[in-house]
Amino acid sequence: MAFFSLLRRLYLTIYNWVVFFGWAQVLFFALSTLKESGHQHVYRAVERPLQLAQTAAVLEIFHGLVGLVRSPITATLPQIGSRLYVTWGILWSFPEVQTHVLVSSLVISWSITEIIRYSFFGVKELLGFAPAWLLWLRYSTFLLLYPTGITSEVGLIYIALPYIKESAKYCLRMPNKWNFSFDYFYAALLVIAFYVPGSPHMYQYMLGQRKRALSKSKRE
Amino acid sequence: MKVTVVTRSGRELIKGGLELDESATVVDLQEAIHRRTKKYYPSRQRLTLPLQPGSKERPVALNYKKSVKDYCDGNSSNLTVVFKDLGPQISYRTLFFWEYLGPLLIYPIFYFFPVYQYFGYKGERLIHPVQTYALYYWCFHYFKRIMETFFVHRFSHATSPLSNVFRNCAYYWTFGSYIAYYVNHPLYTPVSDLQMKIGFGFGLVCQVTNFYCHILLRNLRSPDGNGGYQIPHGFLFNIVTCANYTTEIYQWVGFNIATQTVAGYVFLVVAAAIMTNWALAKHRRLRKVTCFSLFLNKLFPILLHTLKEACASYTINRGSNSGFLSDSSLYQIHFLGCFSFYVSS
Repeated sequence: MAFFSLLRRLYLTIYNWVVFFGWAQVLFFALSTLKESGHQHVYRAVERPLQLAQTAAVLEIFHGLVGLVRSPITATLPQIGSRLYVTWGILWSFPEVQTHVLVSSLVISWSITEIIRYSFFGVKELLGFAPAWLLWLRYSTFLLLYPTGITSEVGLIYIALPYIKESAKYCLRMPNKWNFSFDYFYAALLVIAFYVPGSPHMYQYMLGQRKRALSKSKRE
Repeated sequence: MKVTVVTRSGRELIKGGLELDESATVVDLQEAIHRRTKKYYPSRQRLTLPLQPGSKERPVALNYKKSVKDYCDGNSSNLTVVFKDLGPQISYRTLFFWEYLGPLLIYPIFYFFPVYQYFGYKGERLIHPVQTYALYYWCFHYFKRIMETFFVHRFSHATSPLSNVFRNCAYYWTFGSYIAYYVNHPLYTPVSDLQMKIGFGFGLVCQVTNFYCHILLRNLRSPDGNGGYQIPHGFLFNIVTCANYTTEIYQWVGFNIATQTVAGYVFLVVAAAIMTNWALAKHRRLRKVTCFSLFLNKLFPILLHTLKEACASYTINRGSNSGFLSDSSLYQIHFLGCFSFYVSS
């Protein structure tokens, strides 16, 4: 029994630090490219580590489902969903937006958030606790990075709209046997619409989490 | 007797408490609270007995039919109740009417009016017979539901939070539009004539049996919503489909077989999941009741034994939402094959 708990800890420690390293790469490449070349080249530089680190997060759904971690999947699912949508459904699918400056703000917001988050979990799994400053960072940086990240996400989807419409990519038209159609353009509009109530909701949720986490640590 | 009313945070809601007759019922208590706090009408009040601090148990809710004295400890003439405001309430009848009206009115809009030109489909629209039958079927279904809401279902005092109007209407009206868009689409591809007939035929049969289930459920309750059930004798044991959720799900299956749209099937899956959830919750609540009453009837041990062996899944009628729950001990088992047993005790 204790063996499994040790195994779990080992696995999670490795998982968190590996993904941490991925995001650290993203931030490093983003910043150095910005300094040396300019925002148009940021995507090219970060594409691989970004896709790997972001897609690896799918494992976290699995972790939640099997009970390896305590996080409720209802909170992580929309988060991961929107990240994967932007990473693959917008950035990778529509190269025209890859040179936009919002890509830089996007990857910087995401990578800083994730670096803090994964190191927080990595330290916690490894040592059994996390230092107070790391806890504070985890529950405070979102105050700035959520707005910047969300603005970048919605902005990029919006910028991609004309290219989505023109290319008719991922669209299924009628007539067909199953009387079904799918229009990626309208789906994108729907996604943007979801951000309207979704973003304040997520922000409120994080504010609540912050209150809980920081007051709990004060009491300890 | 004196009743102290406190909120969950411990604050006294009614200063000085309430003085009630020894014979007062919970209904009287609710009305007394309403008189003192203008905005908290009875259906908004949730009254429970105080819990021991740190207790993990669920609080005991006061039953509106009982007398207040039943909740007093021993000979004490004092009682403390905990009050929770459930927020503005709406009767089930009103809720159902609005949620069903949407599909009834929205679907024909897609059939009769030239909406598709606004989606970019200019030109003539050829209407297939199946699309016309689908219109009749769909509208009949929601018309039936509204009629049942006003003339068949017997609701007890149950109400629903006002916010559910928005949630439920969003669900029905959105899915209604989503399905209507595809079935009435100018590029709609009909299925074979035989498949259409099978679908609608089966669906209609299920709608009729569903109606019959509702009638049976209604007859188990008196007009003011109170129940008390007798064990059905011989001829009332239906060994054929008679579960209102099951028949509801199956009639949507019929509709989808006839119309064949992904939108329709998505709706079917979601609706079935919701109803299954209700059924499971109802089952959990009923287990205590049925186990107890099973002792009272020799028929059940045998029947239950058979049912247990054959049971693959079960569906239970929508007790609480249509007000049947509190006295209901209806217990329906549905087999994915072809029978369902209708058992009540």
